[in-house]
Amino acid sequence: MLGAERSSLGDLEKMTAASQAERTVLEEEFNWLLKEEVHSVLKQLQDILKEASRRFSMPTPGLEGQLKQENFILGSSTMDQVKGVLTLQGEALTQADINIKVTKSSQVMHFAFRDDKQWKLQQIQDARNHVNQALQLLSSRDESYQFKTGAEVNKLMDAVMLQLTRARNRLTTPASLTLPELAASGLMRMFTPPMPGDVMVNFYINLSKLCLTVYQLHLLQPNTTKNFKPAGSSVVHNPGAMFEHNNNKFEVSHVHKVECVVPWLNDTLVFFTISLQLCQQLKDKISVFSSFWNYKPF
Amino acid sequence: MAGPSVNISVMIPRGDASRVQVSKRLSDVTVSMMTSRITESMSGNSLVLPIVLWGRHAPTHCISSLLVMEDLATIITGCHDGQICIWDMTPELEINPRALLFGHSASVTCLSKASAGSEKQYLVSASESGEMCLWDVNDGRCIEFTKLACAHTGIQFYQFTIGTQREGRLLCHGHYPEILVMDATSLEVLYSLVSKISPDWISSMSVIRSHRTQEDTVVAVSVTGILKVWIITADVSRMQVISLRQLVELQDKSFGLGLNSATALGGRVRETLCVRVRACEQDLDPVFEEESKPIYCQGCQSLSFCTFTQLSLLVVCSKYWRVFDAGDFSLLCSVASESNQSWAGGEFIAADKVITWTEDGCSFLLICPPVTRFFFGRREPFHKLLVQGDSAGRLSVWSVPDSSPAQTHPSSPAELPVTVSLSLQESFDQLLPPPAGIIDQLSLLPSSSDPMKVTASVYIPCQGRLVCGREDGSIVLVPATQTAIVSARYDQRSLVSGGVDFSVIIWDIFTGEMKHVFCVHGGEITQLIVPPENCSTRVQHCVCSVASDHSVGLLSLRERKCIMLASRHLFPIQTIKWRPCDDYLVVGCSDGSVYVWQMDTGALDRCVMGITAVEILNACDEFAPVALDSLGQPAVNLKQAVTRRSLAALKNMAQHKLHTLATNLLAADNADKLALTPPNLDSAPRCAGFFRRASPHRFTITRWNTASKSRRTLHANVPPEIRCPPSLLLQGNLPKYSHNSLLVQAMKTNVTDPDMHVLFFDVEAVIIQLLTEEAQRPNPTLVSPETLQKAPGGADKSGSFLANKIFKQVKETIKENIKEHLLDEDEDEEEEQRRREEKSKSLSLLEYNLTMDTAKLFMSCLHAWGLNGDLDALCQARLGMLRPHTPVSFGLISRGGHMSLMLPSFKDSLLRRLSAGSSDGRKLSVSEIVGKGTYGVSRAVTTQHLLSVISLANTLMGMTNATFIGEHMKKAPVR
Repeated sequence: MLGAERSSLGDLEKMTAASQAERTVLEEEFNWLLKEEVHSVLKQLQDILKEASRRFSMPTPGLEGQLKQENFILGSSTMDQVKGVLTLQGEALTQADINIKVTKSSQVMHFAFRDDKQWKLQQIQDARNHVNQALQLLSSRDESYQFKTGAEVNKLMDAVMLQLTRARNRLTTPASLTLPELAASGLMRMFTPPMPGDVMVNFYINLSKLCLTVYQLHLLQPNTTKNFKPAGSSVVHNPGAMFEHNNNKFEVSHVHKVECVVPWLNDTLVFFTISLQLCQQLKDKISVFSSFWNYKPF
Repeated sequence: MAGPSVNISVMIPRGDASRVQVSKRLSDVTVSMMTSRITESMSGNSLVLPIVLWGRHAPTHCISSLLVMEDLATIITGCHDGQICIWDMTPELEINPRALLFGHSASVTCLSKASAGSEKQYLVSASESGEMCLWDVNDGRCIEFTKLACAHTGIQFYQFTIGTQREGRLLCHGHYPEILVMDATSLEVLYSLVSKISPDWISSMSVIRSHRTQEDTVVAVSVTGILKVWIITADVSRMQVISLRQLVELQDKSFGLGLNSATALGGRVRETLCVRVRACEQDLDPVFEEESKPIYCQGCQSLSFCTFTQLSLLVVCSKYWRVFDAGDFSLLCSVASESNQSWAGGEFIAADKVITWTEDGCSFLLICPPVTRFFFGRREPFHKLLVQGDSAGRLSVWSVPDSSPAQTHPSSPAELPVTVSLSLQESFDQLLPPPAGIIDQLSLLPSSSDPMKVTASVYIPCQGRLVCGREDGSIVLVPATQTAIVSARYDQRSLVSGGVDFSVIIWDIFTGEMKHVFCVHGGEITQLIVPPENCSTRVQHCVCSVASDHSVGLLSLRERKCIMLASRHLFPIQTIKWRPCDDYLVVGCSDGSVYVWQMDTGALDRCVMGITAVEILNACDEFAPVALDSLGQPAVNLKQAVTRRSLAALKNMAQHKLHTLATNLLAADNADKLALTPPNLDSAPRCAGFFRRASPHRFTITRWNTASKSRRTLHANVPPEIRCPPSLLLQGNLPKYSHNSLLVQAMKTNVTDPDMHVLFFDVEAVIIQLLTEEAQRPNPTLVSPETLQKAPGGADKSGSFLANKIFKQVKETIKENIKEHLLDEDEDEEEEQRRREEKSKSLSLLEYNLTMDTAKLFMSCLHAWGLNGDLDALCQARLGMLRPHTPVSFGLISRGGHMSLMLPSFKDSLLRRLSAGSSDGRKLSVSEIVGKGTYGVSRAVTTQHLLSVISLANTLMGMTNATFIGEHMKKAPVR
């Protein structure tokens, strides 16, 4: 027992000696990391995020008309009941033309945005603002700034990653709504001719896709309380979902979902992902040293 | 690697370094006062009193927001870890931290006062994750809380005049394009201020009341630099009140925002705003802006009105600050910032003077920019204060003089000498004796004055022990409670620890032998998780380990091998969930991606992001439902509270945030009570969403970090030889034993902090246990009627564990470790020595009377020491109570698992108040401090303590031969 202890003490001394040299090297490496590597990563991040931010083409106040308009044709390969042509200008949908082929009557309904209306896609605005906040954070530490501790870098990375994750999440997770909320939303009142009571539409961004969902409703008899179960909130509701609006009970009979990829949104998502990985890699590099710095001889 | 086995020795901590003291002033408070406050104190579901052992290290407090209350007597700081600290400030500008409020799970983004009067001071706080809390500034009680989908970045309190009434409103802005107007007492969203023209996030806002038009005007600047003005007329306010009423009636019939404007309002609907802003069809539209003007101020930091003249408006942006005319918003002057400094805020200090400050901290040790704000007293004392809180938990206060030309120029406040500056750690260091920790006596090293840090700890109720892992890599086991040992799924003897040396080790808890070392990870072990009960048999014998190299392992304790290693995750692991029926292990990463692994084959089934990822995680939650129908109303409330927070809890568990622990532990506390009522123990939820296992008996696992590459020992009194940085963390599976009246909970507010410990006393559980034991006594004639009434119920349920084990064979009562180190023991040295030896020998055979000891510790803490010398002597000599030596830091649990814990320095504030009150102004002696201290901390705390002390004392008086004098003191069994 005693012998074992002694030999282990000897090992320990060797270890301590070895770790002295190791410590010096580690220290140098760490200084290099803080002085050089961190700034080069920050520079890279800024470049990527500036590129991402450029994609969102921030409107300059007073010059709203200057933004580029893009048309997207929304369709689906499997069905042709719904077709939509949407015009996206920055974060707002300025024009929309929707054609719906009603299954029963095979009559085609056509709706368009009223001229005085546009629909802001809050998801895009939120993502844009989050990216800009991340950029602001990054620019607060320019090349002349000397990082003193790893914790400082980690804190900065955490703050940047929080904004980037939020920006990405805004695009990847559309709001889930209940059907009454959708029915009451201003979107229903934006169309000409006015949308009939048994059709509802919803626009949202999912990942890089601009999505349009059309619900065809079917009015339930007022006294059919037996099986009535209002549906919860969801991004897309399935046929059969029920809800009550203006004292009428409805059931979703058909759901049509069409979408179209917005190329620049796809770019921004890629940029977000790359930046997030860069941030995490920098954090990982710092954490390699952290156990070494926390090391305390006893 | 193989180390010699070392016997575990359990040391009896000696009561030198730190002691606890407490007082209660029974005589002063009448019963009528008590009853009037019962409702106040019983806002929790049961009477649970927390007592904190802070240890010598102050919790990390990286300040993210700060606020000075209007009377300049209190400073509030919020930190990045989600805690809120209340500091007292004297008129002489001395500051002292008083309490720490727990409740937010993410960084505190903004603080605001939430009441106008000076007698009831309320505070509202908001966090990054959308939580909002309303706190009582005096005692730290949580009055109301809510959670929105969106995070606020700023809150302002304002009283709008509605007719003759003045209504307190909170105006919030943040990551959404409106200003939400909330009721300041209920935290309900009443209505919103929206923009017709280019709506965008609001970066700052200010409210003024125009004397000319008698209208309240809200001025805000959006992130794109557009100034917006809303006018809240009396009509609007009244209308909104009506609309709120309608809202209640029309609960399910929601109406969206009406859209009449030419430019778009937008298609955003925040899905989970708890009360959606709904304007009814009857012309109750949201309030649109009166004016919208681009002022080309991007990156606006703050916006403030000159309250002196009401003529100018100061806008501070990072690169410049500008003064605008408050009437037509024309630019009056603009000042650019000096070389690469960026402005962080500004305020008018006089009609013609402006103070602005930069982000730069005075010290370069800061890891994130400090928060600075300016306040001036509108009542006595008329200080003009510039307060700065930094990432090291330091508050610096500058008193800005009225007439000094040097300071009128907008320059760095650093030219002015700091009036007062104090950090949390300094306030801890100033205390003598230092704040008590859980195993201080065990942690003192001969070479250094600081005790070793406890880096992880786990309370094992089924063995009544507290396992503490320490900085140097050793693990200490100390007896904490006593219960019957029951069989669990795992081998009773195993203790599993994970270290910073990338290894996971199985120990034999009784012999201290190292049974097996797993070296499968490529990073420090950060978490150990117990798989749910319904997994395959193979997985059931596994422990799931999470490492900092973003890998997850399933380590089979039975087979002694790693059955699955899931690596290659790009981001740190945030949650681990289970789909036992599908044999899936679901790993949630911090970037929101979800990896689904097959447990048996180790194959990666899927890797998803976005909605699908959220859905998968939610589906795992649904998979483990809780049977709650049979439980009563309080249980449902508890459940709601738990579910509401479970996501956050899960998320944070990975980060070892304290919040989770608090939630879990509160759930556990409440479960205590539940377990006593429904006979079916298995149906009661015992853990917050995390581990719901059919068996109430849990095996507990500790994580132990050690960098040691040589041998490992499990030792206490052998000088430690292993060098390593520690960070033992509490394992997710919270130890919960259904009849525990005392719960020892380790907490840390930041991963880097050592553990602090909170003792939770469930008064009801103590009483029920006492009565149960009384009822099980052989001599029924001595049982009081009161006992008989209560006992049968209790005996059947909570007593079932005890019944066959304990009674009539208590050999030696051994005190809880905690008690011993906290409290003075009137024992001679010799006896201690004897007991110590005895303990080391018979580690596994200890049987001691938990209930009596708990009651003793509890009464000792609550007794009003120092009030009456004779009574104190009597208590110590005849009743065997123990006298604490340092002030006891109590806490207060309030709604929804929110908790306020007094900092050890709370006494100073109290003393100052007391000595100011005493006529002769003499210095108070220690005994007086102890006696008068706790009383007067807050009414809620006083009420809880009085209720507890009276009910417990009555129970004890009704018992036969109840005494706190231990057997070792009398040298003869009590019973």
